[in-house]
Amino acid sequence: MFGKAVSYELIWDFTVSGTVDERQRWILSAMQSHGQELVTMLWRILGNEQDVCDAYQNTFLQLAHYKGGQKPEHIKAYIFRVASNAAASMLRHRVVEKKRLSTAIVTRKCTISPVNELDSKCLQETLRCYIAQLPGHLRNVIMLRDLAELSYAQVGRILDISAATARVYRCKAIQLLAVWMGREREERI
Amino acid sequence: MISINKNKGTAFRSKSQNGSSNTCRQIRTWLHKAISSRCHLGSNWVQNHIANCPRCHRRLVNVGRVHLALSAMKSQPHKLDLLMRANAQAIGVLKHSLRRAPKAQKLRVMLPEPKLFERCSKYMHSAANVAACIAILLLMKIGIFSSMDTFQTKGQKVIEQYYASQVGEDLADEVFSA
Repeated sequence: MFGKAVSYELIWDFTVSGTVDERQRWILSAMQSHGQELVTMLWRILGNEQDVCDAYQNTFLQLAHYKGGQKPEHIKAYIFRVASNAAASMLRHRVVEKKRLSTAIVTRKCTISPVNELDSKCLQETLRCYIAQLPGHLRNVIMLRDLAELSYAQVGRILDISAATARVYRCKAIQLLAVWMGREREERI
Repeated sequence: MISINKNKGTAFRSKSQNGSSNTCRQIRTWLHKAISSRCHLGSNWVQNHIANCPRCHRRLVNVGRVHLALSAMKSQPHKLDLLMRANAQAIGVLKHSLRRAPKAQKLRVMLPEPKLFERCSKYMHSAANVAACIAILLLMKIGIFSSMDTFQTKGQKVIEQYYASQVGEDLADEVFSA
């Protein structure tokens, strides 16, 4: 009797896992089709491999738990939005951490010199800090257009805005970043 | 009758609307052309202004720095196994059934692959050469080269006749024989 019960339980487990597998297999398909683009975007935003893996994991975990395991209508849009938000919050954490350790950083701060002007790492870090401080709508456009290299039409579709609006947002974001970077440069001088 | 008149009315209205929208489009294009021909970054007065205005100079330098930083971010390569590791980490938190799926095994060892367009770009030059050869062969097959010769000789004859009628046959013969 007990043996029979165990065998029924096993069959039940197998069928349940089978249906779950069937129902959520689209997550693996999404990972296969968009994974590479996503990793490239996260790498450009974060510039740190462990952070990229964490943001990537967070994205797919959220996708798997979307409305109790349902499939979102536009998977690509959902994935890119979640990933860019996760990356932005990580960047913001980094900025806060930097500010907290500001005394240590002040001594290492890049001074103005022809060598540092062309120091790409210094430039990249500065830009990352400022991208994290951009307003959400501008930040999303910069991340998707410049770092994920998506077209304006795709960016518009993902953010639910028109391509022309995406263009305007990008222009504003670049202007704002330029002003902030200029101010930072003047402060260093 | 009334309905015909109505239709005529709507047809006239839509025609006039189409006409006005075309005019609008033409004006828009004309305005765009006029502005862009005078106000583009390469025009002399803009260049002169930038050279003498420290504020614009600073602004352009800052925008340039942003673009430089963005291109530096884009050109920084990551390790080849990053996708593999990210996939493995993400699959690790999914349901047991998904973790054991054959696709998951494939994703765990997946390496980044260049896009189809990038893969085909190295064959682009040879493809262009082959296309040019095929185009020449087709033109020869159609007989366009022989028709060109006929066209040339006939054209020459016409000009010769024109010269003969205008300046005299002797002079025309002298010009065309040389």
